[in-house]
Amino acid sequence: MDALEAALDMIWPRRLARYSGWAMIAPAILLVGILVLGLVQIAEGSLHTLDRSTFLPSEEYTLANYQTIIDSTTYWRVLWRSLLGAGLTVFFTLLLALPYSYIMVRTSSATIRKSLLVVLFLPFFIGQVVRAYGILIVLGTSGAVNDVLGLFGVEPLRLLFNFPAVVFGLVQYMLPFSVLLLAPALTAIPRETETAASSLGANWLQSFWHVVIPMAKPGLVGAGLVVGTLSLTDFAMPAMLGGGSQDFIANAIYDQFFRTADQGLGAALALLLVALGSVIAGVVIAIFGAGTLGMGGRK
Amino acid sequence: MTSKHTRRGVLRAGMATSGAALLSAMPAGRLLAQEPEKPSEIIVRAWGGEWVDALKAGVSDPFTEMTGIAVRHDLTEDNEIQPKVWAAVAQGRVPPIHINWDTTTNATKSALRGVTEDLSDLSNLANTTELAKPVGLDGYPLINTYGYVYVLAYRPEAFPDGPPTSWRDLLDPRFKGRIALYNDGIGFHFPAQVAGGGSLDDIPDNMEPCWNFVREIKEQNPLLGEDPDFTTWFQNDEIDAACTISTNALGAKRNGVELAWTVPEEGCKFDTDCLWIPKNLPENELYWAKQYINLALSQESQQVWLDGLGLPGVVPGLTPPAGLENDPSYPTKPEDFEHLIRISSAVQVQNESDWFARFKEIMQG
Amino acid sequence: MISRTQRILFWAIVWFSIVILSVPTLIVVGASLTAGNIISFPPEGLSLKWYGEIAMARDLRGAFGRSIIVSLICLAVSVPVGTLAGLALTRFRLRFTNAIQVYLLLPFTIPLIGSGIGMMLVFGSWRILGNVWPVGVALAAINIPFIIWSVSSSAASLDGDLELAAANCGAGRVETFLHVTLPGVMPGVITGGLLMFVLAMTEFLVSLLLTDARTVTLPVQIYNNIRSIITPDLAAVSSVFVVIALFAVWLLDRLVGLEIFLKSK
Repeated sequence: MDALEAALDMIWPRRLARYSGWAMIAPAILLVGILVLGLVQIAEGSLHTLDRSTFLPSEEYTLANYQTIIDSTTYWRVLWRSLLGAGLTVFFTLLLALPYSYIMVRTSSATIRKSLLVVLFLPFFIGQVVRAYGILIVLGTSGAVNDVLGLFGVEPLRLLFNFPAVVFGLVQYMLPFSVLLLAPALTAIPRETETAASSLGANWLQSFWHVVIPMAKPGLVGAGLVVGTLSLTDFAMPAMLGGGSQDFIANAIYDQFFRTADQGLGAALALLLVALGSVIAGVVIAIFGAGTLGMGGRK
Repeated sequence: MTSKHTRRGVLRAGMATSGAALLSAMPAGRLLAQEPEKPSEIIVRAWGGEWVDALKAGVSDPFTEMTGIAVRHDLTEDNEIQPKVWAAVAQGRVPPIHINWDTTTNATKSALRGVTEDLSDLSNLANTTELAKPVGLDGYPLINTYGYVYVLAYRPEAFPDGPPTSWRDLLDPRFKGRIALYNDGIGFHFPAQVAGGGSLDDIPDNMEPCWNFVREIKEQNPLLGEDPDFTTWFQNDEIDAACTISTNALGAKRNGVELAWTVPEEGCKFDTDCLWIPKNLPENELYWAKQYINLALSQESQQVWLDGLGLPGVVPGLTPPAGLENDPSYPTKPEDFEHLIRISSAVQVQNESDWFARFKEIMQG
Repeated sequence: MISRTQRILFWAIVWFSIVILSVPTLIVVGASLTAGNIISFPPEGLSLKWYGEIAMARDLRGAFGRSIIVSLICLAVSVPVGTLAGLALTRFRLRFTNAIQVYLLLPFTIPLIGSGIGMMLVFGSWRILGNVWPVGVALAAINIPFIIWSVSSSAASLDGDLELAAANCGAGRVETFLHVTLPGVMPGVITGGLLMFVLAMTEFLVSLLLTDARTVTLPVQIYNNIRSIITPDLAAVSSVFVVIALFAVWLLDRLVGLEIFLKSK
């Protein structure tokens, strides 16, 4: 132990203590830096158009790819759909995750708590694609849900391949993440606070609204940020549950990189998406704080 | 830029002629004595499922038997391997595969970009039909290995009055939400041009008839997907008809899905798949990769490989698989081609992005 | 204490969540037992033949082994990096915190296709593509926010006075870190580590761009198989995953107790 202390004193003397925070965050900044280096490569690519007689990027630098995107009604529509999809996913995921985490944290039965945790963990282990495939079977025209509806005399419904199906798939995918993000925040709320509120005559809705939600805010903001950014850039759910007509931006990027080989246009779309996501995240953090993603500084 | 291109062209031409001279001048025994060092394995990109099984039986296994070189199949999609190969060649790295089994349209892009090796010196090329030669490209930067048809596949029970005779039959209200197309519209554009009242000669200059018909189809809320989606959808009773490659329909049928297919009066798109070798391979591995493709062009290999796929090959004298004699998806005679539409790869790659964008614009609305 | 209406409403939502979380998994497991050749539910006759198929498949086993290696490397990179960053964000007053937060969220705001293509180009120029370990590093990079948040949510409620007290009692910095700080954030480290491992085991898009036929990992193999015809062996592989998951959860419960995921202090 002493040797370790000595070694630390050698490489990081105490007088550097005020920079310790930076030293500790530096590895993460470097790791994400790999992605930034990739982003730089992509940014360079976005400034060249594709020459379709040689399938090489043009020599000269140009903003033509960005112009193409701005002029295209398709991309605006897809962009709007991604934003709406991400927003709805955040809303519905939190709507389900809040009671789920609340019950899980507050229940007095260890069995219930553990069962709820197991239910949460299992879907993690089968990837997004296989889960989406499970959804295809359940919600299909001859799937389980339509079988049940058939018992009530309802004709088979087309439940898949539309916008709600994509949002449903995203909510199903994001729910475990957001419960795990919310639970620690809810645990931190003392049970007594709620009891106090109700003893002052507040009904459960009021005490939930005025006590629990404000105190769970860091968890809600953190979960919202994670769910929002991940669904904004999601690829698999729109591809599998959207029936091909519900593309999100990531699908449009995929098409340009892999289908039409127009890497410049794909790169421009990717950069715009990163910018959009970062601006939204920045605004949310500026207004609400970063939530559980870091609560900013020792008081 | 231009000078670089010319130089590369000259180099390529020079290599090709010397290679060809080498092959023809030396008797086979001498050639074997001097063959370059064998790699322990070569990697062939292939489509999975039925596709790779057929290739393995027809080409890969015989190749391993003949040469002792193992063949590893990379099941990455053709679209998804493309940027990987392009990046490798651009960065001067050894590419991740030795041979790419690719659609001719995709491969033409790679050929135009200059990332493919010239294959003009393969001895078995002498025995191939006109179909093997890529259209609109110099030499053999890729070799077509068989043709296929984007048929109209349908569920017979949904068409009690007999097979659909026209693509316009799909506009019947009872097929609303029950038809499927490829999500980039591939295979559908050309018949749509005819079904929309236009002429094939107007491709690519005036495709308005095609877009008009696509708009009519859009009103039917078609599902858009890729090969595996079609199988899943037919299987799960989501669709009644689809424009898809005959092999997928055949594969689904062999897996127990009730399916039939037809070529409607407007015609169907006919296209080819091919094999090619990316640049930057070590000299000896390039040699053995070429031997692999050469084997794939032999009559024995074509017979077994294409039996598995149910598709017509590029060497004369192949026997059609049982049940596919005179099938519209297995064209062999000139009259079989009357209803099939073949547009050169050059025209396709030049315009594909625009068609794609147009199709998306209509379908994403 | 919880009122009746609240109880009914909340439990209704919880049951709905349980159903939507579990049913697709159960369907996939059920479909893996089919005797037929296509994935369907209910299965056409029961059989274990697809488990026999995957046990025989050498390529699947190889891919599974590589996935384990990749996930362990991801864990080895992300746990120290994420723990330090999580602590730095909560225990120190840094300038430009908001900007750093947005920067550290980049792995989520960059679409995976963009990250994949970008890292393929970067790793390609560093001449390290074709190895297994860069895939682990890449997966650490794209999922790092998960472990940062789970550590910082534990750290936020850690009592700073404890560390001060330890230091005042003459404990060195390493000692304080190992005996006071680290145990305090352990729940977050375990939650985050588990997430990193599981996500690395199932990520396919970035992995696809960074692997080749010799280094292909299990999710990439599954993804590529899905692209052709979908056979029940896929459902069988997923079911094996579910069994592994159940075992891991059981083991975790025995070792540290599942409640660790809920603790914030």
